[in-house]
Amino acid sequence: MKKIFTLIKREYKEAVFKKSFIILTLLTPLLMIALGVLPSLLIMMETEESFTIHIIDESGLVAARIAEKLDSKLKTGEPKYIVREVKANASSIRDSLTAQKKLISEDKLDALLYVPAAIADTGKIEFYSQNVANLSLNREIKDAVNNIISTYRIHQSGLDPSLIAKLTKPVQMKTIKLTKEGKETESGFLQEYFSTFVFVLILYMSLILYGTSIMRGIIQEKSNRIIEILLSTANAFQLMAGKILGLGAVGLTQYLIWASVGIVLVLFGGKVLPQTGQFLSLDPVIFIYFVVYYILGYFLFSSLYAAIGAMTNSDQEAQNLSTPVVMVLVVPIIMLGFIVKNPDSALSVFLSLFPLFSPIIMFTRINITQPGFLEILSSIVILILTNLFLIWITSKIYRVGILMYGKRPSLAQVLKWISYK
Amino acid sequence: MAILEAHNVTKRFDQFIAVDSISFQMDSGNIYGLLGPNGAGKTTTIRMIMNILIPDSGTITLFDQPLTDTMKHQIGYLPEERGLYPKMKTLDLLIFFGEMHGLTHNSAKERALFWLERMEFSSALDKTIQEMSKGMQQKIQIISSLIHDPDLIILDEPFSGLDPVNINIIKDIILDLKKQNKTIMLSTHLMDTAEKLCDEVLLINNGKKILDGNLNEIRQSYGKNAIQLEYTGDASFLKNLDFVKHANDFGNYLEIELKENGTPNLLLKEAIKHIEINKMVAKQSSLNEIFIELVKGKDIK
Repeated sequence: MKKIFTLIKREYKEAVFKKSFIILTLLTPLLMIALGVLPSLLIMMETEESFTIHIIDESGLVAARIAEKLDSKLKTGEPKYIVREVKANASSIRDSLTAQKKLISEDKLDALLYVPAAIADTGKIEFYSQNVANLSLNREIKDAVNNIISTYRIHQSGLDPSLIAKLTKPVQMKTIKLTKEGKETESGFLQEYFSTFVFVLILYMSLILYGTSIMRGIIQEKSNRIIEILLSTANAFQLMAGKILGLGAVGLTQYLIWASVGIVLVLFGGKVLPQTGQFLSLDPVIFIYFVVYYILGYFLFSSLYAAIGAMTNSDQEAQNLSTPVVMVLVVPIIMLGFIVKNPDSALSVFLSLFPLFSPIIMFTRINITQPGFLEILSSIVILILTNLFLIWITSKIYRVGILMYGKRPSLAQVLKWISYK
Repeated sequence: MAILEAHNVTKRFDQFIAVDSISFQMDSGNIYGLLGPNGAGKTTTIRMIMNILIPDSGTITLFDQPLTDTMKHQIGYLPEERGLYPKMKTLDLLIFFGEMHGLTHNSAKERALFWLERMEFSSALDKTIQEMSKGMQQKIQIISSLIHDPDLIILDEPFSGLDPVNINIIKDIILDLKKQNKTIMLSTHLMDTAEKLCDEVLLINNGKKILDGNLNEIRQSYGKNAIQLEYTGDASFLKNLDFVKHANDFGNYLEIELKENGTPNLLLKEAIKHIEINKMVAKQSSLNEIFIELVKGKDIK
């Protein structure tokens, strides 16, 4: 036990003081802060300038009323839109249109709205500006004209506009999530799934990242020829355990740093920036499940990667052999859309119990629906049993593999290794 | 006292028998040579002593007890395939190995400093392994296998890849350890090195024991006792000597092979009476010659 601890200590020190670890650990919170702060910053930095629109109104219906419809205000309280009518009769209309367009190209005018005489019948207007990609602005102007014209049409047909407004009042839908215990929580799609996706991605990334670094570490120890010196002090199982636990501790350290940055951000960021932390709804129960599935998944995949590392002699060979493992990790990510839509289908339940997929898929289901405790428990038990079996097999492969140099062994040979005394 | 005893130890890898029913015994304070050509089964034998491989049959006892992993603290092992963590600092690395051998951090540090000083390495404490020359790295490896002051030291091809200066340094350490009454197992395919250092030898080939025992006794019982003589006079007296096995007379040069009961001294006593001796060379067979002869003999059988 003391030896495993010494091995963990060495592994941990080496990994934590590596430049790449320090950079990744420090950059990610910066990225998190940036992601949290950026939306609010962007809103604060939104352009605060009034927008001048000239209107040429052949119909005579719109120009007089549009200013009161376009009543959005800037933060300063000034009106956002400055609307001026350009008078033109039928004969001069072409010239004034040309003149107004020229003003726009010379940056003297923001936009021009042209309302043809037949607007009430055709329902067509034209809007000229250097930038027509501002969707909210476009919609505001369109809605304003639409409102004026609709009201005019209703008037023409002899109906009361206020009555029409009452009759056509749109329905509003509020979404409320109902849990199995009958708890009601109001929540939107984004709030519901954002944290799930973040957690699943973290799970997926770290399983690959730390699994690969275990594999690399073993290959390095093999190619540095240090393995046999280590074997003169401890047995193969202790070496493997030291490596897996050491790097596991490194991973947990990283999460601890990130989680504390996240908690600080949620707790105190909100006071400074109202937008921060809105999407990071963090249920402590979910977090516990995250840790459980992370640890179980970590043992599963790190022992697979350890076996691959022991079987091979170069990173390149290992890359080829580890492709199936990566595939196994990618399957749940591909299935994620299906799981989210059908969290309680037979396939979803099966996948969430299958040990190679369960860390990611059962965790997703716990987030989205409420699988029975028995289901969760059996997925955990199956995972633990699979882990014990895998660790038993891989420690045997590892014991023989680390002393094998040269040609990559065939599968048949590896199976024979397991039977060695 | 027997430090290490092996009884009919066999190890197979699939169809290949790496070690075939080998038995031997090592006594304390000796340098014990494990000799044989490449692929003879030397490293497999050592790995079984180190409990890295487990014999398919047979038993190994260390200090009269069956092998366990905790006994690794009493053995210092320098494997043939050896290396270090290139990015670790020398002192940290040695402390790590000391702790792995069951020392506390402080005593590991103390012993590391002692050895570094002895090897005139004190300036390299904070250097990383990759900054050092190959010879320096080899010395660090030796220290790492001796840091816990083991009673049994197993050195697998300790001289491979070393220049003559470093070979001498390692040789001095081995002889010094012997003076401290440590038991040393020296595995090598270089017979002449073993011949100079070892007290006892175990010769193996193709996984089988060829012979073992005290080196001098082996020389006497297996080696040819050959003598070369330059002389003037009449050498016909040789025919009457019962301890002469064979003599080849070239007129003023003799090649004589003695029987087991013959010694150069006996021959000299007789020769002085009959001939004038100009030059005499007593030549014992080298271990290499004995080995080749024995292996050839076995092949014919």
